[in-house]
Amino acid sequence: MEKQVGFMKALKCRECAREYPLAATHVCEFDFGPLEVVYDYARIGASLSREKIMARPPTMWRYRELLPIAHEPTVGFQVGYTPLVKANRLAKKLGLRELWIKNDTVNYPTLSFKDRVVSVALSRARELGFTTVACASTGNLANSVAANAASAGLKSYVFIPADLEQGKVINSLVYGANVIGIRGHYDEVNRLCAEIAGKFGWAFVNVNMRPYYAEGSKSMGFEIMEQLGWQIPQHTVVCMASGSLLTKIHKSYQEFSKLGLVNEASYKVHGAQATGCSPISTAQKAGLDFFKPVKPNTIAKSLAIGTPADGFYALKVMKETGASSDDVTDDEIREGIRLLAECEGIFAETAGGVTVGVAKKLVASGKIPVNDSVVLCITGHGLKTLDAVVGHVGRPREIRPSLREFEALLDAEAKSAITV
Amino acid sequence: MAAKIKKVLLKKPVKDITQKTRLWLMYPAKQITHPVIWELSQKFKVVTNVRQASVTDEIGVVCLELEGPRSEITPAIKWLEKKGVKVEPVEINVLES
Repeated sequence: MEKQVGFMKALKCRECAREYPLAATHVCEFDFGPLEVVYDYARIGASLSREKIMARPPTMWRYRELLPIAHEPTVGFQVGYTPLVKANRLAKKLGLRELWIKNDTVNYPTLSFKDRVVSVALSRARELGFTTVACASTGNLANSVAANAASAGLKSYVFIPADLEQGKVINSLVYGANVIGIRGHYDEVNRLCAEIAGKFGWAFVNVNMRPYYAEGSKSMGFEIMEQLGWQIPQHTVVCMASGSLLTKIHKSYQEFSKLGLVNEASYKVHGAQATGCSPISTAQKAGLDFFKPVKPNTIAKSLAIGTPADGFYALKVMKETGASSDDVTDDEIREGIRLLAECEGIFAETAGGVTVGVAKKLVASGKIPVNDSVVLCITGHGLKTLDAVVGHVGRPREIRPSLREFEALLDAEAKSAITV
Repeated sequence: MAAKIKKVLLKKPVKDITQKTRLWLMYPAKQITHPVIWELSQKFKVVTNVRQASVTDEIGVVCLELEGPRSEITPAIKWLEKKGVKVEPVEINVLES
């Protein structure tokens, strides 16, 4: 193991708190609990300040003391610091006073928040001496690993279900990744990928690199606080697949509070799921500490994880912060995508529709009071899930190349507007 | 030529290596009263080692290490699935979006 570990202290089991060296490992040998990075907050506190952060380039690495790398980053220099948009028009639609959109649809380079976690995992993988990286994915993660590995000159293997849509496959193949399609149902593919990750000495970003990988999500929370003028929003709405993002946003708020970078304040991190795959929100609404696995059936494919690895921890965070969760149908997801696009000019993938739809429900039910500040985390670009909205966003009206026809069309529209 | 290579590969005996597999088992309510892990060790030549467990009247969750030859572990997992038990690797969802 390398001696220099930056501001990290150890890996620690989230179940039994046993500590492990900062290697490429992810589960506790005793109880198989997941491992998490522990930092030396005293040293970070002495080193990090608002001024120091603000003097750095506008990327996620401006918070590098709180990210799990020992040296300067070597992969994904330009990732993060996406816009936090004041969403006045959407706020009015939802009946809110203050609404913000954390817009990771324009995250660099692959237009989803996965670039945050992947660039951390790959930077750490390089520090640990890996030259080959891998992942198992059905979409955004595959694209991000392929692109970030390519730019860093790392060899990459991307495992996908053999029946994955062509568009998603091309978005990984184009970067020169070794893309392997596996035939079989989800559980078989999932188990084989775990076996491959265990057998080959690669940096599997969401397996043996997971403790580092997951920490990358915190950067979204750090940016939100800084962009809000160094404060924690009263409400944050986050979509849930494995549930990891929600727990890491919470961790980012806690870390900035602990370090005195923001004033301590109460906040709620609400979870959003699709009705067709809602193990966490169903459990949360029933007041349970555990979830029951489900078989996903939703257009929100990026959230279609029936057995969420961090579901238990997401439930715990929501309970601790007094937060709520809810889920939305496929039609409500499409409506959420349209609302965000029409009000703010932001085209989100289906997961974004889930977040907007659930926020609308939480406001309507009074779980988000209308005068509080709210941030919606929008995690990926709509161009990635065009299939979900085809046929649901209207059609262009056609005319012949005639000015008269165009004027007639406008007249007809004006008349129908009056009659309505 | 390709057919010849395929034939040779197919004939190659597969080594039955002893392996350790780390799994999460999730039981539906109807299976909670059944001694599933005991039955598993009776039916297959595998060593079962429970690392943590949580059983309520709605769901049973067991973290299990299975040790044995691959030729026993693979059908053992299939048998568990037939019983209605959800079998996940210890990482749970390796296949992410």
